[in-house]
Amino acid sequence: MGAIDDLTTELARLPGIGRKTALRLTYFLLKRTPEESRRLARAIETVVERVRECSRCGNLTESDPCGLCQDQRRDPRIICVVEDPADIGAIERTGEYRGQYHVLGGHLSPLDGVGPDELNIDALLRRLGGSGGGGQVDELIIATNPSVEGEATALYLQKLVRPQGVRVTRLARGLPVGGDLEYADGVTIAEALSGRREL
Amino acid sequence: MNAPPSLVCRELRLRQFRNFAELDLLFPRPGAAVIGPNGSGKTNLIEALYYLEIFRSFRGAADDQLVRFEGEAFHIRGRFEDPATGREVEVTAAYEKRRRKKVVTVDGAEPERLGDALGRIGVVVFSPSDVAIVAGAPGERRRFLDIVLSLNARGYLGALQRYRHTLRQRNALLRAGAPAAQIDAWTASLVDSGAVIMAERARWVAEHRAAFASRYERIGGEVAARLDYRPSVSGTESPESDFAGALQAELDRLAGRERERGLTLAGPHRDDLGFLRGGEEEGRDLRDFGSGGQQRTAAVSLRLVEAETIRAARGRAPLILLDDIFAELDPGRSRRLLELLEEEPGQAILTAPKASDLEVRHGALPRWRIASGQIVAAA
Repeated sequence: MGAIDDLTTELARLPGIGRKTALRLTYFLLKRTPEESRRLARAIETVVERVRECSRCGNLTESDPCGLCQDQRRDPRIICVVEDPADIGAIERTGEYRGQYHVLGGHLSPLDGVGPDELNIDALLRRLGGSGGGGQVDELIIATNPSVEGEATALYLQKLVRPQGVRVTRLARGLPVGGDLEYADGVTIAEALSGRREL
Repeated sequence: MNAPPSLVCRELRLRQFRNFAELDLLFPRPGAAVIGPNGSGKTNLIEALYYLEIFRSFRGAADDQLVRFEGEAFHIRGRFEDPATGREVEVTAAYEKRRRKKVVTVDGAEPERLGDALGRIGVVVFSPSDVAIVAGAPGERRRFLDIVLSLNARGYLGALQRYRHTLRQRNALLRAGAPAAQIDAWTASLVDSGAVIMAERARWVAEHRAAFASRYERIGGEVAARLDYRPSVSGTESPESDFAGALQAELDRLAGRERERGLTLAGPHRDDLGFLRGGEEEGRDLRDFGSGGQQRTAAVSLRLVEAETIRAARGRAPLILLDDIFAELDPGRSRRLLELLEEEPGQAILTAPKASDLEVRHGALPRWRIASGQIVAAA
């Protein structure tokens, strides 16, 4: 195996990249100036060295605890539970949420060998009731994905934290804002109907 | 009976499908009768047409097997016309073996989900293999229900997909001996989706029981037979049952045994249908006690009920595909089935090994000959 093959194989492991694209990327990198390609290599190295999981919430961060956990202006009485760090970004962009977060690192999926032990659940329980400044959380918003796995994970968490006396809520499901009812899919409309509210 | 006529297939184009290298057919509006010896590709033609309805083989063959020997990919294109309005719809399906990739289009556009393209045409296939629905294992009957209801009952396909997915996850946990708290997290979704499936099945059987009995009586020329829904959860036979409550209670009751066996033991994946004799020996199961002729009569009756379901759900009659079904029926039953088919106004495309079998539409359908993957008008 030569160097070109090695790099192509590594690139082909990235999501959404097939063998052909990997080869094209490899030749592209070889065509650039060596400094440009080194900069990419260094950026990858730096990200791997510096970024890790926040020991408190599981978010990806360069400082531990992460910026969100350290932010004094955020309400420590509400925790929003998400599957992945990328979900935090989606919620933060709304500017509507001022509480804290907790990242599970996935969802329950027995077929893939993912059980509660594989998720960041113990740390969540510690934040809720255990030692270390816990016990002040009033509400847990479960924002796992609206998939079969996300629902099962939400339900599991809900039963698990019930004894702690914390209010547990789930994100609502329904119609996308600015969309046409006509073009929404049937399942979404059915969900929106059953979750309708009084005006 | 006064539903508008079916969509009619005007053009079918096959490439590398089964034994057809290249086939281009223009169909007359009433349909066609295709005559040819065994192994000439009659059923393959029917299979190709029905593929455009459910995007898989009605014989349960894998897509790989549908590609012609030594071929790379198959391609099916059908052009269908609504005779009432003259509007046309084009449905295509292609499958590439190497990449295991299936592409479906409706009027040139790929649907967001395959499910959105299902049942565009409205077709019923009558086939000799239908007897397995009556005489075979319960899985055959569930498959029949799942196809009919996925195509004709809103919400059924989604519930079925959710149910199967949840069932696999839950069974994996049971096999691994996981604690109850983890299993319960999946039970809710199993019960929700399972209740939708059970409710639709119970409703369908209740709505069509009388039609089934009368079709059976007319074709068989004997006393009626009965169609029953046999859910895995007792007490949920009627469409008014509390399906979710009953399924949840049954799963609670079986919790210990489920953990021993490592399997989900109640739910629609263990449902069945019953076909029961009337008259003498009333209530005996046709599966075990019916003659071959009675079992075939029940299977054909079921397909006629399916045609009625399509009419009711989509407001138009289905296109009728008849794959050599008269060979298996005695002359009396054949004649009475022919009479019933006259009440089905849709386009009829049928196959038979010899010309003498072709009395559908009073023998008025144009006759084509099929031999080794080629079809020509009969002299």
